[in-house]
Amino acid sequence: MVGRPMTVLLALLLCAGGTLAHAADLYVICNADVAISAADIRDVFLGDKQFAGAVKLTPVDNIAAQTMFLERVLKMGAAKYSVAWTKKAFREGVNPPPLEGSDAETLAYVRRTPGSCSYLTAAAANGADTHGVVVVSKF
Amino acid sequence: MQSQTTIHNNSIWTWLAALLAVSLTHSLTCQGATADADRVSVLEQKLDQSLQMIRELSARVHELETQAAQRGGQGAAPDAREQSGHTPPAVAAADTTQRLEAVEQTVTQLTAGAAQRSEDPGVPLHGFADVGVGNHNATFPEHKLADVGSLDFFLTPRLGAHTRALFELNFEVGDDGNVGVDLERAQIGYQFADSAMVWLGRFHTPYGYYNTAFHHGQQIATSLRRPRFLQFEDQGGVLPAHTVGAWLTGSERAGDQKLTYDLYIGNSQRITDGTLDMNNPGNAHGSTIVGGNLGLLLSGALDGLKVGVHAFTTRIEDQDRLPVIVSRVRAYGAYAAYDTDRWEHIAEFYVFSNYNLTGQTATHRSEAGFAQFGYRAGPLTPYARYERAALQQGDNFFAAQTVGSSYFREALGLRFDVDLKSALKLELAHTHDTDRDFVTYDEALIQYAIRF
Repeated sequence: MVGRPMTVLLALLLCAGGTLAHAADLYVICNADVAISAADIRDVFLGDKQFAGAVKLTPVDNIAAQTMFLERVLKMGAAKYSVAWTKKAFREGVNPPPLEGSDAETLAYVRRTPGSCSYLTAAAANGADTHGVVVVSKF
Repeated sequence: MQSQTTIHNNSIWTWLAALLAVSLTHSLTCQGATADADRVSVLEQKLDQSLQMIRELSARVHELETQAAQRGGQGAAPDAREQSGHTPPAVAAADTTQRLEAVEQTVTQLTAGAAQRSEDPGVPLHGFADVGVGNHNATFPEHKLADVGSLDFFLTPRLGAHTRALFELNFEVGDDGNVGVDLERAQIGYQFADSAMVWLGRFHTPYGYYNTAFHHGQQIATSLRRPRFLQFEDQGGVLPAHTVGAWLTGSERAGDQKLTYDLYIGNSQRITDGTLDMNNPGNAHGSTIVGGNLGLLLSGALDGLKVGVHAFTTRIEDQDRLPVIVSRVRAYGAYAAYDTDRWEHIAEFYVFSNYNLTGQTATHRSEAGFAQFGYRAGPLTPYARYERAALQQGDNFFAAQTVGSSYFREALGLRFDVDLKSALKLELAHTHDTDRDFVTYDEALIQYAIRF
């Protein structure tokens, strides 16, 4: 589903070393079968977008980078994020994203789980095995 | 139902003030600690899982190294074994390869199993609970002092990619003091896409905004209670808060805005013992409630604002009367909700144009609505609400309901977020029934509400 150009882009973004990535960067990644744009990320992680074409989306939180993700991408704090998902679950029966404990676990989860999306810190992204995932955007 | 009274009991007020002061003091010192504890707990759980996996993998690696060393020792005398005719070198190599593959497979399965365990935590169970104290009961004002509000559980099992389910079980204390159990929601749905989901079962009737946004989730609602005319059917509400039937809902992006819609059809309700009943098993005559709700979520400078219109029609039998009186209920209205980091404002307006289907043909027009304004200042959210219902008592739909009287209520309140999952609320309210028994009463209420 994801062609070679995306893989090349991924490799360029993740493996180009310190010139492209530094400690403050954050990468939003998805399983290779997911095709979404950066504009979709907010809706995906707030449960408002659950499908990308025929693919059921599964957002995954990475506790190692969650604070950075919430501040930069969703523009909200942890408390508001928690309340937003409580309301979502109560009103629509949608479960909040599962929580992974580290960049390595997150990357492994996204790689093996179709439809999943999450985020990594730059330190983890550099030199990582990028097979099976695509980078949606860098923040 | 309500005595006309203003409370002058100094001891009650002193007791309430003391309780509030103690609660607030304690809450301020504890705020944040629980949130940190929750986060630490999650981290510890993850760490334990990781350590367990590392121990298992280390043990397997150690076993593998031991076996390899033993085979190396045995391989040091191949000539002797070959001479004795026991095992040729090629067979030994194949055996080692086979063993290595088996170990590798085991490790892979261990890893996959550990991963599966972390991904399948079981059926998520959530809930709300609240308790209160006041010079009146917030729901049944003829009662005073402390009360148990409700204990509400809802389950959202993880199913397939397209199937979703939601079950909500609520325990609440009734007017008679007995604990009642209601299957508030039992809905199973199929999601075709973000723009279309069909639910079947019992659901919150999607009229207006408040009924589906908060319902029994008292902890996520800013105010201490629902507007009176929007209360649940068995607590004085005059609208069918629940429907048993089918519900098509979805949303669609339109540029930066988002359009939401709801269409539903279900069993028409009835009135029995002065209360609306949603006819869970179906009804005898096959009549239906049909309705819809169209909303628009705005963006840009109006980000956080949702506006919408809604309507429904249903056929209601008053089974408390012989012969049974049947009413055609037609309701429509509009709403607006503005929800940002700083503000929460909600306004809803309903118009009823009902007529009697058994003889009398006159159409009765009634109106109800409320406006609530809240300002979020850190953990404190002061709010104000005005609500009013002008319900024609010549309309049997309202006249037959125990709490179908007209009224207005003014309320000032303060919500204090003790931590992420609990809130303490104080509300001062003045209520006046403008027909039937014309009672007036003032309330000072405290509520402690949690979610889990």
